[in-house]
Amino acid sequence: MSSVAEAVNEGTLPGRVWFYSNYNCNLACNYCLTESAPRVARRELGTQRMVEMAHEAKELGFTGLGVTGGEPFLRLDLPELLAELASILPVVVLTNATLFTPIKLERLSPLAGAPVQLQISLDRPDPIVNDEMRGPGNFAKVVEAIPRLIDRGITVRIATTVEDISDEDLSRLCALHRDLGVSDDDHIMRPVVRRGRAIEYGMGVDVGAPDLPAELTITADGAFWSPFGPTVRAGLLDTDLLITRTTSPLRTPAAALLRLVEGRPPGDDTQLNIR
Amino acid sequence: MAVGLVEASNAPLLARPFYAEGDPGPIVAALAHVPELLEATMPFIAVALGPSAISWRIKEIVILRASAQLECRYCVQSHTPVALDAGLSRDEVIALRGSALADTVFTDTAEVALIHWVDEVATGRGAVSESLRDALREHYEDPEVVELTVLVGATMMLNRFCTALELPTSPEALVRLADEGLG
Repeated sequence: MSSVAEAVNEGTLPGRVWFYSNYNCNLACNYCLTESAPRVARRELGTQRMVEMAHEAKELGFTGLGVTGGEPFLRLDLPELLAELASILPVVVLTNATLFTPIKLERLSPLAGAPVQLQISLDRPDPIVNDEMRGPGNFAKVVEAIPRLIDRGITVRIATTVEDISDEDLSRLCALHRDLGVSDDDHIMRPVVRRGRAIEYGMGVDVGAPDLPAELTITADGAFWSPFGPTVRAGLLDTDLLITRTTSPLRTPAAALLRLVEGRPPGDDTQLNIR
Repeated sequence: MAVGLVEASNAPLLARPFYAEGDPGPIVAALAHVPELLEATMPFIAVALGPSAISWRIKEIVILRASAQLECRYCVQSHTPVALDAGLSRDEVIALRGSALADTVFTDTAEVALIHWVDEVATGRGAVSESLRDALREHYEDPEVVELTVLVGATMMLNRFCTALELPTSPEALVRLADEGLG
């Protein structure tokens, strides 16, 4: 058994490897970690490279993949790429779910029944408050897209990122996701993290490596500790959670991450529920 | 500067130990952009340039001379105070920096042979001439020659790194240079 597999089995290393597929986004949310927006540089990971890394991740003993951005579905090749990645390891992909026009929904057919979860951001039960943070029209598109995705056999979970939320709003939000067909088990809540654009808006909680799961995260710029690591502030990449610039072969950043987590007890990162 | 210097607040995880005791200096702060290079380079530099079987004085002769030959402003300014602290006289330092003839200032034949050999290694092309090699071998054993060769090479690497990236000399070194009249 490889040292990665041992660490994953022991719980000292999370099993998922994240890929930042691209940094551009059709939205510009006010708590975005990466200052993503329509006109930012894409900084894509190559399709073939992601597939190669998925194979390497599996060989090393990782147990799952995550794809995030930016908005991954701005990549035209994403449905086929996700299907290929999911043939290697189970995948969760983070999306704002605002791009799923009928034509795009049709293109998601390779994902039906595949081990791919779409994690969709939905922050409030009301369009006005939700869209203040995420942009006009976001709420309506998400609420429309989720049942259609589920109808097509695609697994959906909802991520709610909040600074604070009243009990009443949370209760209404949970009722809404249940109505949309998403169970309580597939609804996750997490705080706004004070990195990226959230700093500009004075939002969120301060975090460091000890607060974050040590999930190996690969971007066009290098390998980072956690998908909350490769954040952007005033157009400049934060490097405080950079592990190494070398991402190929994947065993290089994996070995570096293992050195960093050595001695960290399992579950030591769960205090803020940043997952 | 040709690149920014990484500040402590943005230091990558593997670079953080190098910032633990405060400002690590511009070489570390530049290398911190690529932490895997930093992790490999600094221990090498510490062994190549730091305390070893060869005396501090001899090592600083090599470092200052190679740096002067390669016209590395940062390395010459930074190592001039170090050379003085290592026991070299002001006149010796001036000679090593190229402002006086080393042969007339240095009296120890082993040191004179070493300086000529460093000049050839640092600036020559192809093999070191037989006469300079033999002169060096009269005073230094195999392990010392190996170490001195690595020292010249490591210094040259730093010379080109610091020069190409236009790294700034520390204010403390500049003050000391002014105090010694060696600015």
